[in-house]
This record gives sequence, C-alpha cells and structure tokens, in this order.
Amino acid sequence: MKESDRKSYLASVTDRFVRGQMDRRAFLRATSKLGLGAAALGMGMGSRPFMLNKAVAQEEMQPSAEVMAWLKEVGKPFAGTTLKFATESTPPSNAINSQLKKYFEEATGIKVEIEVLPLEQVLQKMTLDVASSLGTYDLYYIDQSWAASFSQDVFDPREQIKAKADLAMPNYNIDDFLPALVDGISKYQDRWVGVPYDIPIFIMIYRRDIYEKLGLKAPATFEELYTNSATITKEMGPDTFGYAGQMKSGHYALECEWTSMLWGHGGSIFNADKTFVGNDERGIAALDYYTKLKDIMPPGVNQWTWDGQGQAVAQGVAASMLSWGEFFPFFDDPTQTKVSGLCEAVIPPQPIALRKAEECGYGEIPGVGHQGGSSLAVSRYSKNPDAAWLFMQWATCADTQALVTTLGGGTGPTRASVYDDPRVKSHARVGAGTTRHLPVVRETIDKYMGSEPDLPEWAQISSDTIPVALGKYFSGSYGSSKEALDDIGTGIAAVLKG
Amino acid sequence: MHQSKLIRTVRTIAGWLVVGAFFFPIYFWTSVAFRDSKDIFNWPPIIFNFQPTMRNFEQVFGISFGFARQDAVAPGGGNFYMAPRLWDSIVVASMSTVLAITVATFASYALSRMNFRGRHQFVNWVLSTRMMPPVAVAIPMFFIFKQFNLLDTYIGVILIHGLMNLPLAVLLLKSFFDDIPAEIDESALLDGASRWTIFRRVVLPMAKGGIAATAVLCFIFSWTEFLFVLTLTQTGLKTVPVVSSTFVTSIGTAWGNMAALGAAAIVPAFFVVLLVQRHLVRGLTMGSLKQ
Amino acid sequence: MSIAQVKRIAISDSPWPWLLPLVALLVVFTVYPLIYNIWLSFHEFVPKQRVLKYVGMANWIQLVNDGRFWGALGVTFLYFFIALTVEIILGMSVAILLDAELPGFAALRAILSMTLVIPPAIAGMMFLLMEDSQFGVLSYFLGQLGLLDKSTPILGTSSLALLGVLVAEIWQWTPFMVLIFMAGLRSLPAEPYEAASIDGASSFQMFRRLTLPMMSRVIAVAVLLRGIDLFRVFDYVFVMTSGGPGTSTYTVSLYAWQQTFSFLKWGYGATLSLTSLVIVMVMANLFIRVAKVRW
Repeated sequence: MKESDRKSYLASVTDRFVRGQMDRRAFLRATSKLGLGAAALGMGMGSRPFMLNKAVAQEEMQPSAEVMAWLKEVGKPFAGTTLKFATESTPPSNAINSQLKKYFEEATGIKVEIEVLPLEQVLQKMTLDVASSLGTYDLYYIDQSWAASFSQDVFDPREQIKAKADLAMPNYNIDDFLPALVDGISKYQDRWVGVPYDIPIFIMIYRRDIYEKLGLKAPATFEELYTNSATITKEMGPDTFGYAGQMKSGHYALECEWTSMLWGHGGSIFNADKTFVGNDERGIAALDYYTKLKDIMPPGVNQWTWDGQGQAVAQGVAASMLSWGEFFPFFDDPTQTKVSGLCEAVIPPQPIALRKAEECGYGEIPGVGHQGGSSLAVSRYSKNPDAAWLFMQWATCADTQALVTTLGGGTGPTRASVYDDPRVKSHARVGAGTTRHLPVVRETIDKYMGSEPDLPEWAQISSDTIPVALGKYFSGSYGSSKEALDDIGTGIAAVLKG
Repeated sequence: MHQSKLIRTVRTIAGWLVVGAFFFPIYFWTSVAFRDSKDIFNWPPIIFNFQPTMRNFEQVFGISFGFARQDAVAPGGGNFYMAPRLWDSIVVASMSTVLAITVATFASYALSRMNFRGRHQFVNWVLSTRMMPPVAVAIPMFFIFKQFNLLDTYIGVILIHGLMNLPLAVLLLKSFFDDIPAEIDESALLDGASRWTIFRRVVLPMAKGGIAATAVLCFIFSWTEFLFVLTLTQTGLKTVPVVSSTFVTSIGTAWGNMAALGAAAIVPAFFVVLLVQRHLVRGLTMGSLKQ
Repeated sequence: MSIAQVKRIAISDSPWPWLLPLVALLVVFTVYPLIYNIWLSFHEFVPKQRVLKYVGMANWIQLVNDGRFWGALGVTFLYFFIALTVEIILGMSVAILLDAELPGFAALRAILSMTLVIPPAIAGMMFLLMEDSQFGVLSYFLGQLGLLDKSTPILGTSSLALLGVLVAEIWQWTPFMVLIFMAGLRSLPAEPYEAASIDGASSFQMFRRLTLPMMSRVIAVAVLLRGIDLFRVFDYVFVMTSGGPGTSTYTVSLYAWQQTFSFLKWGYGATLSLTSLVIVMVMANLFIRVAKVRW
C-alpha cells in the first residue's frame, strides 16, 4: 500500500471507530494491518472526544429542515392515511424502510408500509393489482424492463407536477434526473413511467494491489481485460483468479453479464426489425470471448449469481469483475471483506465495436455499462394518489437521495446534483458505505450505459430462455457457440410468437 | 433381547455419529449467524475458529447486546429488523394448527367409527386435496380472498394454513382413532351415553398423544410454508420463510442476517417439538398398529 | 338393548354432521381452485390488455409438444424415486439404530427432528453455501476425502447437480421418516421377537420376516404423505440451481412456478399444475391399490 492510501485508510477506519460504527477489536485488527495498533487507538480516543463526534455524525444524517417543514405543511390533510409500496430488496428501499421513512411519517402523519420482495414477486403482485384494479398498492416499483407493460397504469410525474401545483415540492427540480436514466429507465414512448429511483450499473472493479504487483494497468479494453485476468490466474492461481463472473445457469445474472459481453463486441440482441441477432458474427465472437474468459475464472463460477461473484472479489478469490457498482461500498467494509481499500473502480473496458441504438429493436441501447435501474411511480388505482405523490416526491428528492446514498452504502443516485452533494462527497474515503466510486458510476451512466430491450415477454426471455441455453452451453451440451446462440434465437422466436 | 456390551458401544457411537452428521449443517448455519461475512467465505472454510459477532442479531432483532452498536448500514442498505415477523409466524402456526386439529378431529372420529358407503373413496378424496400444487391454488385463492376481504389478514393466512394441513391431519388422526378399541364406545353407548359424550369424555382423552403428534406436524408445515403467505399477504403480516427472501438483495445476499433469523426461528418451533416429544413417539405409536 | 341393537345404532349414525366442517372447507377452498384451474387451462393471460383470453386447447397442445415439459417430467421422476427410496431406507435404518435406550439417545431423537423446523427455502440456501466449490464446507470435506476435486463444482456440473440438490432434500426429510418409523417400531409387540430369538433367527431374518411385514402399513402411510409432497417440492431446486446447469435439475413444479409467477402465463401454468395433479393422483391410487391400503 502506498503511503497516501495508508493514510486515507487509517483516517477512514478511525472515523468509523470514533462514530461508534466499529468496535474496538475490529478497529485494532484493521489498524494492526497498517502496523499501528494501539497507537491509532490513542489517536481515535484522544484527539477527538468520542461523544461529540458521534453527535456530529448523527446530525449530518438529518433530513433538511426545509424539506421537513414543507412536508409538515402540505401533508396535513393526509394525516392518518396509509400508503403501501411493494419493492425489490434494493439499497434505496431498504434505507428508506429502515432509516428514513420515520421522518416522513413524523412530518406528515402518513403511514408508509413497504413490502420488500424478490424481484419476480414484485412483478406478480403488481400484475395482480392492475389485473383486478385493486389499488392495494399506492406506489409501484417499476423495473426498467417493465416500463412498457405498466406505462398506462401510473401517473406521469410531469403531469402530476402541473396538475397539482399546490402539492408540488419546491425545488424538486425534475430536470435534475440524469437524462440518460430518464431515457433508459423511465421513459416509454412519450410518457414518463415514474422517475428514476435506483440505478445499479456495471462498472469495472479491480484489485489495485494485485494489478500493481504484476505490473498491470487497469483494463481499458475487453482484450486487456482478458490478458490481465489470464496473467493473474496464471501467476496467482489457484488461490486467486483474474476475474469472477456471475454465470449461474437459468438465472438473470448470467443474461446480464452475457449482454455486456455481447454489446462490448458490437453485437446486440435484436436488430431494427425486432429479430434476434445475438447469433451473428459479433454475437459469436462475444460468446467465444466469454468462454475464453470463463476458463480463467474460478471453477464453480457457474453456480454464482452476482452474490457469489461479489463474495469472490470481497474475499480475495478473484481480482476483478465487471459488475454492479453497488458492490463497491461493501468491498471497502473492513469488517466484512478482506479487500478494504484495495479495490479500485474504473469505467468498463471500451467495446471492440458498438452498435447504435437505432440499429436495434425494442428500445435496446447497446453499451458496456449494463444497467438494471428502476422507477418509482404513483399507481392510477391508488385510493390516495395525492399522499402517494407526496411520498414519491420526498423519496426521490435530492435531499433524501443524498441521505439514501450515504446511509444506503453508496448506491448510485439518479440525480445529477446528488453526485455533488457535500454529504455524499464526504463519504468518498475508504471504508464501509464509501462513495468514492460514484464519479465512475456517473461517467458510466453518462457515456457508456447499456439498456436491455423493453417488451412484455422480456421477463421470460431474460430470466429463462437466454440463461438456460447459456447454462447448457457452458456445461458443454452444445457443439459450438453458434449452435447455442441459434438455439436461443429459436427459443426467443417461440416466446415472441406466444 | 440382550445385546453384548460391544454391540451396545458400537451402536451408541454410531447413533451419535449419524445424528452428528444431521446436526452439523444446523451447527454450521447457526455459527454463520455469529460471523461477519469475511469469516463465512474462506478456503478452507472456517468451522470453529472465527471471531464471534452479535451484529447480525442486533440488526435482525433491533436490540443491542452491549457490543458497539452498529449504526452503519448492512449490505443491502438496511437494518433488517424482523422481530415482529417471528411473532407473526408463531400466531399463524399455532392458530392454524388449532383450526386444522379441531376440524380434523371431528371428521376423523366419524371416519373411524361410522361406516358409510364410499368411506374409502371419501378418505382418498380428502387426501387428494393435498395433491394440487400450491402454485395452482395461489391465484384463485388470491381472488377468493380479495372477495372476502381476507387478503393480508391473520385470519386469512390461518385459514389457508389450516386448510392445507387438513388432509394430513385427517389421515393421521383417523388412524389414531382406529387404534382405540371400538368396544369402549359400544359399552358406553350401552350405558346410555350419547355419541357426543363418548367422543368428548372417552375417545378424545385416549387419543391425546396422537392429537399432539398430529398437531406438531401441522405446526411444522405451517411454520415452513412459503407460497401462500407470499401471495396472500402484503404488509400486514409475513412469516419467517417469506421475509427471509428479503435478505437476498439486489446487491448480494446478507448471509449472516439470514442465518441469524433462521437460527432464531428454530427456537420456538423446536420448543413446540420438545413439548410434545413424548406424546409424539407414544402418539404415533398408537396410530400405526392396525392391519 | 341388546349389543346388536347398539351396534346398529352406532353404525347407522349419520357421519355428516361430523364431516360437515371438513367438507365445507375443502369444497370452498379446494374444489373451487380446481374448477378455476381447469377453466384457466383453456385461457391465457394477456399482459398488455390484462385479460384472460380464451385459447381453446392451445395450452394442452403446447404441453404435449413441449420438450421442456417432458424433460422436466423425467427429472421430476428421477428426483422423486431417488429421494423416496433413500429417505425410506435411510429413515428405516436410522429409526432402528436409534430405537434403543442408550446413553443420550432420547436427546438424539429430539435433535434429529430439528431439521424439520427449518423452512425448505432456507435449507436450500444453507446447502447452497455449503456446496459452493470455492467456499463450501461440504465441498471441502469431500475434497479432503478425495471424492471431489475443487475444480468440479457440485451444483455447476450437470451430472452432479441433481445429487447436490438431493442432499438437501434427504437431509431435511429423512428425519420425518425416522419420526414415523420410530413410532411404528415402538408399537411392535415383543412376543414374536422372543419366539424367533429362541428359534435362533438372526437379526436380519427377524427384520425381514417380522419387522417389515408388521411395519408395512406405517411404511405405506409414510410413502403416501412424503410422495405427494415430493412431487410438489421446488424450493431446493429453485434456490440452489434455478434448474441448472441447463435443464439438468429442472422439475415440473419449478416449471409451473415460473410460468405462473415469473412469466405471467397463468393458463399454461394451470395446465402444468393440473397435469402434475393428475400424475400424482394416478400414482397415489395405484399405490393404494397395490399396497392394499384400506381406509
């Protein structure tokens, strides 16, 4: 570790200890790695009074008084209402559910009940809700791939702002949402299907210490990603491998990683005629590359979703991954991982070629930064649309997003201003809940983001047709990559035919 | 039968080894609840030698055990506070057991004591209601529940769990009743007692063990049921198996937290098992002997 | 009153007041879903319009031509027979082993039933972790025994994945069998054994000639109860392999689940469920005949 890194690591560890986020033993363990130990303990204890700093830290996490005052004022008529919201277990929803919604509830008297479910259950529950026009949920969590299906079931937030001037949050600034996200996640045809709520996106994460030791540079292209990873596996295997994938057969994770490879080789899933073209020359090159890369990954990578992949990097088994940026803050947590302060985030490797969005069908946008974002919207069937609209504005306003980002462990904000928020920036140090990867996330969103096609059958294609066939392919059931891809093409055609 | 000392020793050791093998995953999972994730993922895997932490329990049950309180956010961005869900599970499992046992006791008594045409077919039909895959029942049930305002209520979930256990309960209870000699009923009838009195005063007390055994199985099946609770509840209540899926977040699985809830959830259910353990063996015994 | 009269009254008593609550509940909550599913199997949910459209026999025709379904059926049968066989044999062996008053055996019997109180989905997660080839304790043990190379992931290898899933299944449900068999064993009369022992019969002979026949009824009940559930189980597969690699662990119940919940193909999901229902009913009735179970 370089001297400067050591200092920043020490500072962040001390910071955590002083805030009471870390117990004494863990602190000593972390600092002893730096050759400090008891001396650092003295530093943490002595130089800054324990209680005071904890209080400061708490205050920093308070929502803005301005927002709270507005909520108190405008929320009066709705006191006593209960709102229901079904969501996937994601950082913003968990942070709001466990830490932040109490502020909203206190200010407005509106009770918010958040149901946290696995993603496909959210889809099922929302479908039952709209199919029977029940209105049991006031707010919908809309995955980017469902925007088409639910576009008519929610209010367009822009219309809500116009129609209900008295309920509009001052300084809500709907133009603050990153335009790429609005296009890629929330927009369907001319409508906004809610506002961007969450943005997990693929970035390149690698172990700087290993790269430096072997004299490698961060991979700038897919070719470099392979050569670097192969070098590491060769030099350090079988304890440490160059790359870890998310290749569980039959799981959406495999489809996500495959798309990033496909797009990175200039391929796409559909062409402008809405026909599957993942089996063209570029598609085959991409799958061959993926196969080559798998050979230098840890054996057993095909049992892993992003969870196993993340653990492989976190526990030092793999030296890099091209995956959800949301993992990064976890890697920096010294109590949970063995690589705190050792990982670095950069933009994804540059594609070998890149197909234009116009050449693809169903709104597919090729890009190496695969996104899995979602929107938040008010249901048309809600019995309390106004209260729900208040909650939605609060949950997606800049102040709340900044809190979510700092509390929720450095998840990617969807608003431009939040990336510059001082509270968010102050967490850009090594340690749990770091935000030091966010500049990379933002750059990836702005320039390299890739979005999956948007069609009602996509749930089946993306979590069954493609990953099952790929899983078969990687377990050796197909003669060649072309055969596997052709089979995917046949499968997709069958699904589309219905 | 007298066994030699050697055989007894071998058998004792074998028994401990076999149960040890079955117990090992439970030990391992419970130990995961006391670990930070860097102690969970290792090669070779750590079995005993880890730094125990209470953090997972603190997060799941929202209590501080006197260790440094963790203010920072768990992976996934939340403190997975789940204590009330344990209570939901207990309420649902025990009430649905009461429901299933009550209905099944009456029915099984009749099936055991009264001959009527098509009894065999009737029992087969009851059994066949358990053969429908729950996936297929969930959606029509959703619409029925919506109609009767049972969605997201304790009563709704208790009802469906009770129902789900009826075939099992009827089948087991019937065989327990079959084992109580019918002569007892007959002599009581001779004394002028009514059916109801015989059922309540004579047969029921004798079948206590069997009822306890059946109850424990109903409790276990309700305790571990996933799909109906998932489909028929929203935010009002949730049982342990369903909330456990919360730990599988978009940014990885919170293994430690999941293990903490899982380990804690073993306790109440196991307590019920222990309570009726003696009845369990005796009870099932009575039910099994009938050719 | 003569005994004969009493007997007649006892028999002629109407059972229906006693059965009424059961019948009412079962009709409302199981007959309706059955009819609904039959109706549903001739319809399909159209996500865009959110209506159930009449499609005639389309779902049934699709079923017959669906290679995926037939493959899943094969896996399901394989899973079913292996699990049931192992659970019965292992369950019987453990029950016999533990059916003695030796030091700590009462505690052992209690401990064994702990596996049952763990929700299957969580048990699946446990074994997923333990069978991981990079971090899993089970993989490590197997490696130490020289049975498995670290480069062969259990759940990531087509030929091993089903076994990997079955480990979880068998671990969880063997104690259920032990519980039932133990109860049966304890109720066996002692006299026949004493007689056989005097005749100099070996333990194995006693088991085959005495225990097995006397236990046949208990075994039949256990097979029925577990067999019915086995056909519907999908938690382990769902959590541990998602049916993979490829479709090597893909079962009918997982297929029905995905069609219904993930892809919103309610009609086809109902068709799959009904098929699975019919198969289980046929098998159960065959078994009841063959095993001569009379209720």
